Amino acid sequence: MTLAEGVQIVSFGILAVMVLGSALGVVLLTNIVYSAFLLGGVFISIAGLYVLLNAEFVAAAQVLIYVGAVNVLILFAIMLVNKREDFSSIPRRWIRQGATGIVCFGLFALLGTMILITPWSLAPTSSAVIENSIVEIGKHFFSDFLLPFELASVLLLMAMVGAIILARRDIIPEVAIAKEREIVSTSLTLPERPREIASIGSSPTKEQ
Amino acid sequence: MDFSISIANQLNAATILPEGIVIITLMVVIIGDLIFGRSSSRWLPYAAIAGLLASIIALYFQWNNPEPIAFLGAFNSDNLSIIFRGIVALSTAVTIPMSIRYVEQSGTSLAEFMAIMLTATLGGMFLSGANELVMVFISLEMLSISSYLMTGYMKRDPRSNEAALKYLLIGASSSAIFLYGVSLLYGLSGGETNLTTIAARITDASSSQSLGLAIALVFVIAGIAFKISAVPFHQWTPDVYEGSPTPVVAFLSVGSKAAGFALAIRLLVTAFALVTEEWHFIFTALAILSLVLGNVVALAQTSMKRMLAYSSIAQAGFVMIGLIAGTDAGYSSMIFYLLVYLFMNLGAFTCVILFSLRTGTDQISEYAGLYQKDPLVTLCLSICLLSLGGIPPLAGFFGKIYLFWAGWQAGIYGLVLLGLITTVVSIYYYIRVVKMMVVKEPHEMSDAVKNYPEIRWSLPGMRPLQVGLIVSVVVTSLAGILSNPLFTLANDSVVSTPILQSAVVTRELPQNNVKVSSTVAPSTQH
Amino acid sequence: MQLQYCLILAAALFCIGIYGLITSRNAVRVLMSIELMLNAVNLNLMGFSNFLDPSAIKGQIFTIFVITVAAAEAAVGLAIILAIYRNRETVDMEQFNLLKW
Repeated sequence: MTLAEGVQIVSFGILAVMVLGSALGVVLLTNIVYSAFLLGGVFISIAGLYVLLNAEFVAAAQVLIYVGAVNVLILFAIMLVNKREDFSSIPRRWIRQGATGIVCFGLFALLGTMILITPWSLAPTSSAVIENSIVEIGKHFFSDFLLPFELASVLLLMAMVGAIILARRDIIPEVAIAKEREIVSTSLTLPERPREIASIGSSPTKEQ
Repeated sequence: MDFSISIANQLNAATILPEGIVIITLMVVIIGDLIFGRSSSRWLPYAAIAGLLASIIALYFQWNNPEPIAFLGAFNSDNLSIIFRGIVALSTAVTIPMSIRYVEQSGTSLAEFMAIMLTATLGGMFLSGANELVMVFISLEMLSISSYLMTGYMKRDPRSNEAALKYLLIGASSSAIFLYGVSLLYGLSGGETNLTTIAARITDASSSQSLGLAIALVFVIAGIAFKISAVPFHQWTPDVYEGSPTPVVAFLSVGSKAAGFALAIRLLVTAFALVTEEWHFIFTALAILSLVLGNVVALAQTSMKRMLAYSSIAQAGFVMIGLIAGTDAGYSSMIFYLLVYLFMNLGAFTCVILFSLRTGTDQISEYAGLYQKDPLVTLCLSICLLSLGGIPPLAGFFGKIYLFWAGWQAGIYGLVLLGLITTVVSIYYYIRVVKMMVVKEPHEMSDAVKNYPEIRWSLPGMRPLQVGLIVSVVVTSLAGILSNPLFTLANDSVVSTPILQSAVVTRELPQNNVKVSSTVAPSTQH
Repeated sequence: MQLQYCLILAAALFCIGIYGLITSRNAVRVLMSIELMLNAVNLNLMGFSNFLDPSAIKGQIFTIFVITVAAAEAAVGLAIILAIYRNRETVDMEQFNLLKW
């Protein structure tokens, strides 16, 4: 199902421009909601690149999981923490940003040089694509990638349990003034006191 | 039935029996909590400990497995992985008794805490034996994600939230960087994910790949160094240690670190065998920075947990000496030190937990005069801290001596000397705490100690804490004198592990060649 | 279309991700930058899988695992951000300085 060479190049170029443009938008725009939608754009364009790379199943998974789950989750999070807050400006912030930009550009130059000078051992039959990648993926999942596949299920279970524990609102238990004097019970906080309270001499620097 | 047996044989599934036991325990904990509710918290911790001990016994029976490769190359159950899996499981088995009281007192649910901790253990155990890039990634993430969850477990506490957020953001970005390195490795080897095959494929390649390999190496080391909290990838350590629940800190400083070292050994020795010189150089730099910065900054700390955080950074620096030595003795000294470190560090954390449960603080100055009120905690904490510092009859001393000896044999004199000097520095800050507890007169006692509650071991959850404390202190004080079994264990595991043996041989060959050429060169000049 | 184009695009995306990681002040945006970095890695893997390993396509398997784990990580990350927002009423990274020596 390979497209003609020229069409491939052109569509790769368009997708690459879309990926880079939206990614720059994600990190540079001030409004976080725009960033979130542009992130969706990055994910969809990358799914398009996967189709060009002969991987339909992964492209579908990318759209379903990244756009359908992760991006929606991020949008929900933005809505839940929706207080519009103007971050207090920090003097000389542009110096930091500029320095970071230079470092990142240097890293990109290094990686680019590496990519160009390394003789990648290209497979001889680059055009001979396997007919049905989904069958091949299934075979892998139940042969040599069986163990990671099973482990991923445990990982997802525990991530679900943990995310629910952390995100749910629950009734704060009464601070037990116990009959046993020994118990310095707390309500879902660390038993150690914060440092401002612990050291009596220093005045607390911040009220929350 | 026959079919399933033949499948199991083909996959060599018996090798992951210990992990299977941990998974069953995990299920028991979650489902038991669901069915029996809060009342189950009486027996669930003991079930978890029993499961972990059973898993360690299962590991014992796996020793010297004739066919270590399982799951078509995804998992390698050689003796090196067995001993590291044992360390991870044992660290959790010792951590759970100390967390029962702590978690209950903070009003959070114990069962879910233990479930997350068991998942982290599972991740660490699989990481120690992972023989394939996908497997490495999945088990690493399993360990990391459950660590983030445990760090933020006290969710009403802003410090715990902040520690979790910092840990998650730094951890996720470091694992992304690690993954980029891994993807380069996949590409450089021409599409292989098995570590041994990668090594074989890369060795064939010409030297024009060296830049790619070097970048992959640096990126991978960034991920590993984050896990073992080596300077300069340590920024998260003090904050996370201060803000997370203390039992979690204990697990992170021992179990997670041991898993990180297991990953370091396996990945660097097999996949990066071609650039051994380079990774030895990078790790030497990391070790020097960790030793200096960890020990010097620890001097200035006022919080006990933060001091132990910097001390754990420094201890990682000591362990790296064994890794850099790259000989049999080097690797086995690493394992021996990690085994000893497990008990002394967990013992110290148990004492810190006891003190903070009774007084609600972990400031070092509040420990003043503790000897008058609670001799047992004072004694145990002193033994563990002195052992961490490396005072002679205790276990830590023998661990350090062995590490330094191995390093000296391998010819890394500068690093060993630096290790000796920083050990002296470290003894100073450990002794400072001991002196504070023991020497102070009654009228110099801190407020916290003056109001010290009556010691009652009969409270719910205190008994296991006491048992855990006694066990770790006894091991810490005796393991030094009776170190022979541990020593033999560490040595055996290294000698009988094929990947390390081939690494040692290939490392010695070039040296011999150099010697030969250097002896030849003068003769030709004459 | 060549392997190198694909890799260079991935490297650029990775560097943009690192830039966002360091300069962002909103915790949610930092998470988004991490997702960008993971996507760059995926693109790398898919490129290698298509051009170097077209018969076994292990890179595609690896990518699926990375996508799975990234989703789990995003869920946990957002749960932590929600928890911290409830206590602190802010998501500004510069305000999170309770823990400092």
